[in-house]
Amino acid sequence: MATEYATPEEYGLADLMCCASAREVGDNEIVFAGTGLPMVAIMLAQKTHAPNLKLIFEAGTLDGRPPELPTSVGDARCEMGASRSSGLNDAFSIAQRGLVDLGFLGGAEVDEYGNVNTTCIGDYLNPELRLTGSGGNPDINSFARRTVFIMVHEKRRFVPNVSYITSPGWKVKKWPGGEFVHRRELYGAAFRGGPSAVISTAGVFRFDEQSGRMYLDTCHPGKTPEEIKEMCQFDLDISRVAGETLPPTREELRIIHEVLDPDQIFIPKVKKG
Amino acid sequence: MSTEKRITLQQAAEIIKDGSSLTFSGFTIWRRPFALVYELIRQRRKGLHLIEVNGGPQTEFLVGAGCVDIWESCWVGHELYGKYGANLSRKVGNKEIIVEDYSHAEMMFRFAAAASGAAYAVTQTSLGTDIHNPEYDMLGRAGMRDGKHPHIARHKYQFTEDPFFGAGSQVLIPAVKLDVAVLCVQQVGEEGTVRVNGQYYSDPESARAADITIVVAEEIVPEEYLRRNADQNTIPSFEVDYILECPFGAHPTGMFGRYDVDGNFLKDFYGRTRTQEGFDDFAKEWIFGQDHMSYLEKLGWPRMLKIKANTALNYSVREKGGK
Repeated sequence: MATEYATPEEYGLADLMCCASAREVGDNEIVFAGTGLPMVAIMLAQKTHAPNLKLIFEAGTLDGRPPELPTSVGDARCEMGASRSSGLNDAFSIAQRGLVDLGFLGGAEVDEYGNVNTTCIGDYLNPELRLTGSGGNPDINSFARRTVFIMVHEKRRFVPNVSYITSPGWKVKKWPGGEFVHRRELYGAAFRGGPSAVISTAGVFRFDEQSGRMYLDTCHPGKTPEEIKEMCQFDLDISRVAGETLPPTREELRIIHEVLDPDQIFIPKVKKG
Repeated sequence: MSTEKRITLQQAAEIIKDGSSLTFSGFTIWRRPFALVYELIRQRRKGLHLIEVNGGPQTEFLVGAGCVDIWESCWVGHELYGKYGANLSRKVGNKEIIVEDYSHAEMMFRFAAAASGAAYAVTQTSLGTDIHNPEYDMLGRAGMRDGKHPHIARHKYQFTEDPFFGAGSQVLIPAVKLDVAVLCVQQVGEEGTVRVNGQYYSDPESARAADITIVVAEEIVPEEYLRRNADQNTIPSFEVDYILECPFGAHPTGMFGRYDVDGNFLKDFYGRTRTQEGFDDFAKEWIFGQDHMSYLEKLGWPRMLKIKANTALNYSVREKGGK
C-alpha cells in the first residue's frame, strides 16, 4: 500500500514535529523518553516502524509498553506491560553502562555545538529567570549514543553561547579553565556520540561530528533556509539542506489522535474544514 | 512491639528540626508526603536543608513558605501542570535561598553512595557542563564548605583520572548527609516493612541513607501480611523508625494504584503563587487553620473520586491531564 502523506491543512506543527521525532527512532533501539511530545513520538514509532524498540522511563520503567499515554515519566501509566518496574538508580546505571541508543530531550536555549540550557536565563549568579534545572538532560546527553532535542524555534533561543551549559553538546567546557574542547577529549572511554538532531518548530538540524557544528537538514513546509538562518543568532550552516521535512502520513495522524493522545494532552488536533 | 513505631503527623513533623537536612520519597509529582509537608509549614519550620534527587510541588510549598535555606537538587516544577518552580525562582532571584545544582544522575548516585556507606560516588556524567563550573559552587561561595557544617561536603565535586583502566576523566561527588527521610507509600507493616507498588523511584536509597526514616502510608497493614510475600517488599523493617497512617497523604501528588495527581490543584497553585502574596494567600486557604481531615473535607468527595485509581489499571480513567 502506498504511503499517503497528509496535506498541509490536515496537520499542525506539533503533528509534524512528533512524526519527525518518531522517524529518528530505529527498531530494536533502547530509547530514553522524556515527558510530553517525545513520549508521544516514541510510542508512535513503537506502533509503526519500530515495534521492537525498548522504552525506558527515567523514573524506573524498563522496556515499557504503556497501553495509555503517561503524562510524565513518574506516572502510574508507565508500568503496565513493562519488562521491569524499578527506580532511578537502575535507569541511570543503564545509561552510564552505555546501553541507551537514543534519548529525547528539550531545552530553553541551544548553541551551534548543541550545548543546551534548561537552568536559567541570564547570568547564573544573578539570573533573570531560574528555570527547572537540569533534570536528567545532561545525564542522558552524556551517555546515549544519540540525542534529539525538541525545541520551540525563536531567535532568542538559538544563540552563540547559552547562558549556562546544562547539557553537553559537541564542544564543551574543560574545567577548571572553561576552554572549549571536543567532547571526545573529556569523555574518554565513555564517548559514544552526542546530539544528533534538533527538531524545532522551523526545521530539522543535524551536527557534523568532526567540527561539532550544527547544520540545517530539512525545512518544515513553508519555510526557506534563508528564513531559518535569520532565526538563529549564530551563523547557521545552510549548505547541506536536503529538502523539506516529510509531512505526517494519514496513518500516523490517526495513531496520534485516535490511539495515543485522544484527549489532546500534548498534541492539539487541527480542525478540519 | 507492634505499635511502638506509630506516631502522629504532628509528632512526625516535630522530629524534623529547624536546620535539619531532609529528603522525600517520590518523583516530581508522584508520592510526595504532602500531609507532613503541610504540617511542617503549619509548625513554621525554618532553615531546612532540602536534599532531593529531584524536586517538585513539595519543594515549591516548603520554599514558598520560607522553610528552606538550602536546596541541593537538579529539577523543580509541576510537569505538565506548571512549567517551572515559580517560588524557588523568585527566592533565587532575591537571594533568599542557596541552590546547589547537580545533575539528576549525580544526585541519584550521591544518594546511592550514602545508602551504601560510601564517602562519595564516581561517575562520568555531565562532564563539560556548567554544573562543574568552579565559579558556580554556591555553598562554597557562601563559605559553607569549611568542614564545620555536618551536612555540607568540603568540595562540591572533585575531578580525577581513572587510575585503574585509563577510562578518562571521572567526577567524584560527595555522599548526601541526611538527618531525615520522609516516605509516602501505599503500605507499611506494624514493624516498618514497606511495600511500594509501582516504580519505587529513589525511595530505598533515601530510607537507607537517612539517619531517621519516617513512613507515611495510605495504610498500616499487619506485618505478617507483608511477610507472607517478602519478595514483593521494598524496604526492610529495621530501616524504618516511625510509621503513621494517613490516607490521601500524598495529595495533590499521585500514588500508583490509589489515586492520580490532582492536576487542577497543581495548576491552581502554580498560577496563584508567582508572588509571595499569592503564595501566602494560597497557604491561608489550604494549609493554615486546617488539619489533614479538614483538608480532605475541603477537597470533597467529587474531586477525590475523579482522581481515584481504577484498581485493575492502577490509574484514574477520569483524570485526563488536568482537563
